[in-house]
Amino acid sequence: MPYEFDEILETIKMTEIEHFDIRTVTMGISLRDCADRNISITTQKIYEKILRYAGNHVKNAQEIERRYGISIANKRVSVTPISIIGDAFGQEEFLKIAETLDKVATEIGIDYIAGYSALVQKGFTKGELELIKSIPKALSQTQKVCSSVNVASTKAGINMDAVNLMSNIIKETAEKTKERDSVGCAKLVVFCNAVEDNPFVAGAFHGISEPEVTLNVGISGPGVVLDAIKNAGGIDFQKLSELIKKTMFKITRAGELIGRKVAEKNNVPFGIVDISLAPTPAEGDSIADILIAMGVEDVGAPGTTAALAMLNDAVKKAGLMASSSVGGMSGAFIPVSEDAGMIRAVEKGHLSLEKLEAMTAVCSVGLDMVAVPGNTSAETLAGIMADEFAIGMINDKTTAVRIIPAVGKSVGDYVDYGGLLGRAPIMPVRELSSKAFVLRGGKIPAPIRSLTN
Amino acid sequence: MKLTEDKIRELSIQAISELGSNASPDAVKKLVEEKIRSSNDFPEGEMNLSSGRVILTSFGLNTTGIVSSISAALSEAQCDILDISQKIMQEFFTMIMMIDITNSPKDIKDLQEIMKSIAERLKVKIYLQHEDVFRFMHRI
Repeated sequence: MPYEFDEILETIKMTEIEHFDIRTVTMGISLRDCADRNISITTQKIYEKILRYAGNHVKNAQEIERRYGISIANKRVSVTPISIIGDAFGQEEFLKIAETLDKVATEIGIDYIAGYSALVQKGFTKGELELIKSIPKALSQTQKVCSSVNVASTKAGINMDAVNLMSNIIKETAEKTKERDSVGCAKLVVFCNAVEDNPFVAGAFHGISEPEVTLNVGISGPGVVLDAIKNAGGIDFQKLSELIKKTMFKITRAGELIGRKVAEKNNVPFGIVDISLAPTPAEGDSIADILIAMGVEDVGAPGTTAALAMLNDAVKKAGLMASSSVGGMSGAFIPVSEDAGMIRAVEKGHLSLEKLEAMTAVCSVGLDMVAVPGNTSAETLAGIMADEFAIGMINDKTTAVRIIPAVGKSVGDYVDYGGLLGRAPIMPVRELSSKAFVLRGGKIPAPIRSLTN
Repeated sequence: MKLTEDKIRELSIQAISELGSNASPDAVKKLVEEKIRSSNDFPEGEMNLSSGRVILTSFGLNTTGIVSSISAALSEAQCDILDISQKIMQEFFTMIMMIDITNSPKDIKDLQEIMKSIAERLKVKIYLQHEDVFRFMHRI
């Protein structure tokens, strides 16, 4: 036999017991050739183009799932930031595009379609402003459309006008979807240093330097890493790092195989593997549990940030070795609502928003799926975002905020979405005002780090 | 293989130029369909070359007739057993088979269905996975 007994059993154990799966296969489709002066022609072109490339995406992915015995949790499509193709349009037209995206996504059976986006780190065009204003309506009227707005970058600094605008948009989105626990906010990400080939929603979009069509894959598998660490016992840090690397290497290789095969089946070029370790709400499939297995009592204990930094670094090193096309976010994710261990830590009061913020400095991607009281002011949200983007801007890394000011809820309550979005306890927010700071307006200039030439 | 409009157009133009003055709508349609079929066969065949080998893993409480039930089903499906390795650990039965399904009229999906019914009957677990996944994970 060309494989050892143990090797085969290890793979079976990963896929059957330890929740190893491919988080997403995301087909990125450029819609730049769909722009037209006439909105109905634009939507028709968008509809036809997505159908043409991704019509069989779900069917093909399912076939690959069966062949390799590895499940693919989500099948998604990302598109060119809609603000780019519709720059001449107003809010009403943008809403029509959102409806079209939702319709075609439902027809082809994908889980999400992402790219209702704008990149405004240095300022707005008229179309971008219109798109952003249409976001609350778009997200409340559609099911599968995801939106993201990039408001800061290391090269451009932080566009505080955009941060303030987005904090209001988030509040408005929460209000418009309040009967469903403000679910609209779970589909809206605000970014610093957004990446163009990210396969993960809600922040995915098909960047302007991307080809016509491409297929990106996002892996998962915290459960596998968790079991490996638990079985290893009290080994020292070098050995621990080595162990994580070995495990992640295998996961990444499998991810690349699945991505390439799905791409082949769809007859589109393969893009990248995003080697992020993405948790799911399932018990045992948690980043928090890995940190606990590494030795901290709970997430939030002193040492948590160091443990996460080491985990994240080992994941990257292994991924780089395993795949020749690593991209996207590529780091451990710490979304609160999607990780049973993180939820537990918040419930017990072990994990605060501030500690979470510190953790985002060493991993991707930011304050993700964090629910806060519905009466949190727009200025406070803007302050939270500004802090998060400052980390991203200064450290030349991607940071994001996907925060849910859940209307009518306060600390002690929950938002519950089910599925991969999970459920989140409302976290307390400091009641000190940031108003006079954030409302200064203008831009925080690009840091010295931007001058690398 | 997925056909784009461009590809169909290209095939149609080819067909028209090949048929020359004999190009009637019906003749063109027939020729294009033939071309599509032949171009379809090619990538499928290519894929099958690398996708011939499948690893079958079975485990569960040991009972009589596991190996015979599985191998009988495989032989009925004209699958070639290339290698087999079996262990009993305490009362636990574990078997790994490498099989070649190139000459089988059934594909991996059909075989998974067949094995599912056997697994239910014998109360064991049977997994069928393409060999590539093991090669990618365990070999550099």
